[in-house]
Amino acid sequence: MIFRDVEDPDLIQGAQRGKVEAYNVLVSRWEKRVFNYLLRLVGDREDAMDLSQEVFLKAYMNLKRLEDRNRFAPWLFRIAHNEAYSHLRRKRPQTEWDPQAAEAAPLSRTAPLETALAVRKALELLPEEQKEAVVLKIYEGFKFEEIAEILSCPVSTVKSRLYTALDNLKQTLAPIDARGVE
Amino acid sequence: MNCSQYDVKGYFLNETSPDERTAIEAHLEVCGRCREELARLKALRVVLAALPEEEPPRRLAFVSDRVFEPSPWARFWNSTPRLAFASAALLAIAIVAHGWIARPPAPAPAPDLAAIRAQLQAELSQDLQAAVEKAVAEATARQERRTAELLQAAERRYQQQRLADRIAFEEAFEVLQKRMNVYRASLAFGSAQ
Repeated sequence: MIFRDVEDPDLIQGAQRGKVEAYNVLVSRWEKRVFNYLLRLVGDREDAMDLSQEVFLKAYMNLKRLEDRNRFAPWLFRIAHNEAYSHLRRKRPQTEWDPQAAEAAPLSRTAPLETALAVRKALELLPEEQKEAVVLKIYEGFKFEEIAEILSCPVSTVKSRLYTALDNLKQTLAPIDARGVE
Repeated sequence: MNCSQYDVKGYFLNETSPDERTAIEAHLEVCGRCREELARLKALRVVLAALPEEEPPRRLAFVSDRVFEPSPWARFWNSTPRLAFASAALLAIAIVAHGWIARPPAPAPAPDLAAIRAQLQAELSQDLQAAVEKAVAEATARQERRTAELLQAAERRYQQQRLADRIAFEEAFEVLQKRMNVYRASLAFGSAQ
């Protein structure tokens, strides 16, 4: 990529001074991660796409408020988190963990596509807050402190949600785990 | 063995301090249950990784798109000639302000020609009458001054003439008296002889 040598803080500084090209590069760097984060939370590609658009628009509008340019990622995902939860509140109530539903999940086949579907299903069975903790840690690779910043909660809460989610996922995905992934 | 003091999940998630890692690794060597827990977590990570990252169905509206673009004004303002523009704008504002302050009075509404004509005639008549009166007054005054001057001149000539006549009379009378004195003296001298 042409701009790979330029670090995010430099791009953010440029964007804060009105250089639209700098923000353009930031969007191209982060759009896929933001889109997948939102997709895993809301489960619909078009919704995730629309929300991604909103996230980057709001980020652009509020970029001058970002004081620590090294905290761009948590700041951006905080916006995405707010957008996702506004969307989820409009669409459906919070789901609760249901062990019976988890046991009934159809995980009998372990071909890659089916495994992906099984994982998606297992994630959908998790309560929203647990699912989001898994997405931010396992898929997005944030540290506990960053997740706490994104979710606006203590680190201990993040750990609690994540550890519980891992236990639940181990239970739900145990059949695949036992057979191994092809 | 008390396994709860060892944060195996934190170790798996790489969220432990170096000291904690060392302690957990030592514990894992002697604890089969915690090794099994760690193996399940690693297997779970492999399974979760089966959910691939997806490409966005279409590109986002980038900043180059209209929705993100700064307004033409903002683009211009961020451009190099903004100082020149600011100077020109100030000058233009000054010109407009001056023109506004020193503007001519607003034009009257559509005129009533008949009224204006009557008013003009009245004003013209008044002006004409005043001019005539003024001319007559001036002529009268001029004539009176002229008459007075003539009277004064005639008076002066009359006084001068009177004075000249009196002087001539007195001179003639003096000559006459002298002649009479001569005649009396000759009479007296003749009678004496």
